[in-house]
Amino acid sequence: MKNRSRNFYLIPYVIWIALFVIAPLFLVLYYSFFNIEGEFTLSNYQKFFTPVYLKMTFSSFWYAFLITLFTLLIAYPTAYLLTKTKHKQLWLLLIIVPSWINLLLKAYAFLGIFGTYGAANSILEVIGIGSQQILFTDFSFIFVSVYIFLPFMILPIFNALDELNPSLLYASSDLGASQWTTFTRVIFPLTLDGVKAGCQIVFIPALSLFMLTRLIAGNRVITLGTAIEQHFLVTQDWGMGSTIAVFLILAMVLIMIFTGTRKKGVL
Amino acid sequence: MKKNSILSKVYLVLIFFILYGPIFYLIFYSFNSGGTMYQFEGFTLNWYRELFQDTRLLTIVLNTVIIALLSATVSTILGVAGALAILYARKRRVKNTLLSLNNVLIVSPDVIIGASFLILFTMIGIKLGFISVLLAHIAFSVPIVVLMVLPKLEEMSESMIYAALDLGASRFDVLTKVILPYITPGIFAGFFMALTYSLDDFAVTFFVTGNGFTTLSVEIYSLARRGVSLNINALSALLFVFTMLLVVGYYFITKKSEKPRGMGVRQ
Amino acid sequence: MGENTIIRFEHVTKQYDDDSPVLQDVSFEIEKGKFYTLLGPSGCGKTTVLKLIAGFIEPTKGNIYFNGKVINNLPANKRQVNTVFQDYALFPHLNVFENIAFGLRIKKIKNDEITRKVKEALKFVNLEGYENREIKEMSGGQRQRVAIARAIVNEPEVILLDEPLSALDLKLRTEMQYELRELQRNLGITFIFVTHDQEEALAMSDEIFVLNGGKIEQSGTPTDIYDEPINRFVADFIGESNIVSGTMLEDYVVKFTGKTFDCVDAGFNKSEDVDVVIRPEDLEITLPEKGKLQVKVDSQLFRGVHYEISCYDSEGNEWLVHSTKKAIVGEEIGLFFEPEAIHVMRHGETEEEFDKRLEAYEEVNG
Repeated sequence: MKNRSRNFYLIPYVIWIALFVIAPLFLVLYYSFFNIEGEFTLSNYQKFFTPVYLKMTFSSFWYAFLITLFTLLIAYPTAYLLTKTKHKQLWLLLIIVPSWINLLLKAYAFLGIFGTYGAANSILEVIGIGSQQILFTDFSFIFVSVYIFLPFMILPIFNALDELNPSLLYASSDLGASQWTTFTRVIFPLTLDGVKAGCQIVFIPALSLFMLTRLIAGNRVITLGTAIEQHFLVTQDWGMGSTIAVFLILAMVLIMIFTGTRKKGVL
Repeated sequence: MKKNSILSKVYLVLIFFILYGPIFYLIFYSFNSGGTMYQFEGFTLNWYRELFQDTRLLTIVLNTVIIALLSATVSTILGVAGALAILYARKRRVKNTLLSLNNVLIVSPDVIIGASFLILFTMIGIKLGFISVLLAHIAFSVPIVVLMVLPKLEEMSESMIYAALDLGASRFDVLTKVILPYITPGIFAGFFMALTYSLDDFAVTFFVTGNGFTTLSVEIYSLARRGVSLNINALSALLFVFTMLLVVGYYFITKKSEKPRGMGVRQ
Repeated sequence: MGENTIIRFEHVTKQYDDDSPVLQDVSFEIEKGKFYTLLGPSGCGKTTVLKLIAGFIEPTKGNIYFNGKVINNLPANKRQVNTVFQDYALFPHLNVFENIAFGLRIKKIKNDEITRKVKEALKFVNLEGYENREIKEMSGGQRQRVAIARAIVNEPEVILLDEPLSALDLKLRTEMQYELRELQRNLGITFIFVTHDQEEALAMSDEIFVLNGGKIEQSGTPTDIYDEPINRFVADFIGESNIVSGTMLEDYVVKFTGKTFDCVDAGFNKSEDVDVVIRPEDLEITLPEKGKLQVKVDSQLFRGVHYEISCYDSEGNEWLVHSTKKAIVGEEIGLFFEPEAIHVMRHGETEEEFDKRLEAYEEVNG
């Protein structure tokens, strides 16, 4: 099985890696050192540390944090209750299905629902609160983001819970733990990997999704992703866009280290 | 206990309602003769009729499908080679390096992939349009194929390859008569994932496409930015049905060989 | 090299990277048409020998001959050898027929010929009519037979079997032992069988190689190895035995547990320290005064065909006795044995020296 066989499968694969993984990353880094006139400079980095960009970065992280938090708070009980159902794999599949529907269509649906005369406002009228401006607010941005990311958070947590050996729970209650103690001391620590994986899957895109801010938040919210898109496709300042991208990549790497290795099948 | 189970049922029902509500809301209004997403005036199929008469849109659908099929085919071939390369990498370090590089594109936010590919294609002088979109789709689908195929390869017992050699098979025979048939479910799953990745991609395509070439996602985005138009609802209803068909197809492919937990949510 | 020799190992060493060698300077010959067993604990190097013969790995040092030609670097797919794997390694995507036909198809043999040969092979392993079954529909024992059929259908000169029975339950394993032996006789080709189960080895083989730590400790027929183990390791590994330290006073006289006994071993130095083996079934329970050894019964287990009785002598040596008679725990009993039951082993004696000594004193006697 060895020595004699050269691993010739490496050739196309390594070419792919070189061309589409390594080269693009280096190009982004390279471009971050050029200003809009094409001169080599560090000014982009200087600009990044001005209050305007720092404030944007901070708010982008803040929104991503809120989105991740709310998604987790809703996803964990859902995943937990799903593991208790009969035919749990089928229910899980039904949770996953919406994630396969084109993201833009889901965002578009909320244009209708949250619109001035949409379903949400009709409900508010009925309750007696009265019509509100929902679209193009922080609330709508966070709500739609949580809606979109929910399945991505549920799946890894579900898998972690599902792998949990039930006799551990029996053992815990056998040793005198209450249901709540069992949850905090046994279930949650053992499913922490799933939670971490879920947070990672949600947090990074939450930093970078630009179409949601455009469609739902009406440019009120600027995330790192929106800023990159703006610089690349609108103002054509690729240098500054690359600089922001470099910081986004750094943030991504830090988050990956922080949340540890992700498990297989938890895409 | 009884109260708990009612409470948990209510919770799950609510989650499913929130997940599916917007999608059905969207589809419901695609039959609205009123032309808005808030006042249902009467049943009509006009929006669908309009859709099928819109040759521009049909061309876009065709483009999208061609890109998806081509990119899925090429990325499946590359991905299988990649998985074999990782399998045959003898040194642990090489294996881990390859796997990490493989996963870069999976964890990278779409904006980063889009922006860096835009730089790459501009640098090497590829005209933005069909070719650049195709290359980009191939590039970001390869790692997912690798991840779908690799577990199948790794579960294959080494003695099976020994057995084939022992029975006189050449290295090529081993590949075509043993390995490929064995990992066929993984290859199908990978192809399918690549297909849906391509069909649903918006952000990367948005960056690397040029004038005159659009895919469905990009088209929906530009339509949605202009506001509500029930054409999109009709389109989304059709896409929903199509997605469901794909999901069911995928479910049966994977169910034959493994638990459906191999199925990932996708971004 | 004899005319019948088919495989010969000449000072073969196998070493992976910088680890200590898994096989150290091993030499042996394998003759045509016999049933060989490589026996030893896990990690002793027996599977390595098999892989070297099959061609999955190459020797680090030394030569391997097949029909007189060096085959060190000949790839597995060019060798006249087929293997039955421990996990059977059947192809799950092919049915029974196609699994067996795999090797024939590679050789591009005509279809009707393939059908004939596969049917014949299936008949050999008592699986007629199972051609169209899927592998996952077959039981463990049936898969085993398919794996054997897949090997024999190629008409190899040697079949290698890597612990093929280890996954089967006891009853099936015993059945398959008979069948394999039978099959080997009918086919008349060489079988090389790897196992860690000494009973299996004793029951099936024409010849056994006992391996330990990458070396061959002893080779010979089952009776040779059982009756005249060369050292403590072999005696302990093959069957149950009572091994005590003793002194060889002179030829045919040995002293252990403070007493002197007649025996049939010779060729030692005067007052040489030795190991003495007596098999549990050679010990007979009698009254204390009639026994050659006096021991106290410590515990007793009923093993179905016999009682396994554990006793201790006054020096604290344990004596295992297999007896159809029941003993009473705590009672003093006597153990009787014939001089032939005593087997004396020299410390650190190699197989060659052992054979030489045996010949020397047999000549004196003969």
